[in-house]
Amino acid sequence: MKVPEKYYDEIFNFEGQWNLPSKCGLKVIETKDKKIIIVTELYQENPGSSVTYAGGLLAKQICEKKGFNKHDIIYIECNPNTNSKLSFYDEEFFQVNFDLENGEFVNPHYKQLTSEEMKRYISQQ
Amino acid sequence: MIFKLIYPKWTKLKGQTTFNLPPHGPVVMAAALPDYVTVSFTDENVEEINFDEECDFVGISMMLTVQAKRGWEISEKFRKRGKKVIFGGIATMLHAEETLQHADSVFLGECEGRMEQVFGDFLKNDLKSLYNFMNQHPAIELVGPARRDILKHELYNHKGVQMVDLMHASRGCKFSCYPCAVSYLGGRCFRPRPIDKVIEELETIDNNRLFIVDNSLAQSKEWEMELFKNMIPLKKKFISHTIEDDPQVLDLAAQAGSWYVYQAVYDTSDYIKERVKRYHDHGIGVEGTILLGLDNQTEDDILRLIDFLLEINLDLAEFTVLAPFPHTKAYDDLLRQGRIFDHDWNHYNAGQVVYQPKHMTPQRLQELYDYAWKAFYQDESQEEKMFKLFSKVMLREMEDGTYRPRDRRLVSKSFGKDVVRNIK
Repeated sequence: MKVPEKYYDEIFNFEGQWNLPSKCGLKVIETKDKKIIIVTELYQENPGSSVTYAGGLLAKQICEKKGFNKHDIIYIECNPNTNSKLSFYDEEFFQVNFDLENGEFVNPHYKQLTSEEMKRYISQQ
Repeated sequence: MIFKLIYPKWTKLKGQTTFNLPPHGPVVMAAALPDYVTVSFTDENVEEINFDEECDFVGISMMLTVQAKRGWEISEKFRKRGKKVIFGGIATMLHAEETLQHADSVFLGECEGRMEQVFGDFLKNDLKSLYNFMNQHPAIELVGPARRDILKHELYNHKGVQMVDLMHASRGCKFSCYPCAVSYLGGRCFRPRPIDKVIEELETIDNNRLFIVDNSLAQSKEWEMELFKNMIPLKKKFISHTIEDDPQVLDLAAQAGSWYVYQAVYDTSDYIKERVKRYHDHGIGVEGTILLGLDNQTEDDILRLIDFLLEINLDLAEFTVLAPFPHTKAYDDLLRQGRIFDHDWNHYNAGQVVYQPKHMTPQRLQELYDYAWKAFYQDESQEEKMFKLFSKVMLREMEDGTYRPRDRRLVSKSFGKDVVRNIK
């Protein structure tokens, strides 16, 4: 169940829950006033926390490592298509809106994105 | 120093035959304790906890999510009595954040080689609130024989028949299945124990019937075959999860004493039908494990699946509904989609619907779950089917001279309680 490389530009190493060494795929689209961050779950190749479970922890680590302003990001989680026979592994994108409290991303709210909405984001590249 | 180790009770699923098996986590943990520690163990499923028992330190071992809330209650009672309480085990790892609020200390990870530090800190009055060894797996060679001597064996006995003892031959899992948290808990890497260590442990177990609890034995064919070859002389009989679908491996498994396997049945394909037949051809029974409520199942699919189970001659079937346990993909998906409506961990028993299924109402899925149990066992009850499987193992034991008759002293007891007989 290998995640195709088209979903990411780099593998991002992060500390998951309980400092678990974890990995995700990362693609950043820079627009005029926002950074669109797309984190992709790597399943078997991620030894630690999933991108969803890590949630705000991961968003914070990406911002800090890349020097992004935490107020100027659009954060998207991607379930990649792994060509599995099981429908649970179909492609899905969720925009995650966090509250920012004392520099921490908390209270995630999820909005599933249609492929049209996703195309619009990607076309801003 | 007395360490009071507790395994909290949980409410068993209604309508199903209740068996209390000796727990595995506490006996593995006890084996890692320093020599100066004396363990007093209570499995609350089979006996009451004496909260006033003399002890220095309290440990709560939780395997299931449905034990968590009870574990926290127990902890509060001991803490009110001035005792320090530490938590460990699989469910502690899944619910660590919440457990920290009810504990003096939480241990995450595997215990071998780490307990000297924990107990040393306790003795110095310097117990840490968190011992985090997640994903820092100790050398698998350190896993020694579990301390089954802490169990009161007579409590795991039904009318004179001793329940199976649990043991493990490996840790971790290379698979990462949709509803399962094992790869999070034990790592996404199969870690087989050295065969000689496994055999050494098997030889110490005074029970001919075992449940090898490894997530799947079908992870390394060479190791699996070597394990079975070495088990043959012991003449044990065992239950396990999946065994490699290979005639050579199945043949060795049968010789090693494979009694029956838990095999996931997820569709109505010929592959599954043939898979079950191949086990049967080798004299190995099959208990199908059937997960209901996945997003790819419509009501018709579930009904067809139940009919299919009756056609393929499963020896037993166990139905569950999807429970989105933390650290599974199922949890992530349902959380993002806002489909989890019940967050009471006592309801995460895999028999109660706690989320919105994709193709039906929660109520309808609950009805189908109840229907599945009823339909599968309508012509022959669960007890009758179990008795058939039990008869098979008895006959095999009689053939190889390992059969032990039931313990006559315990025929009027079931898991420590008196059997009530309705004889007129």
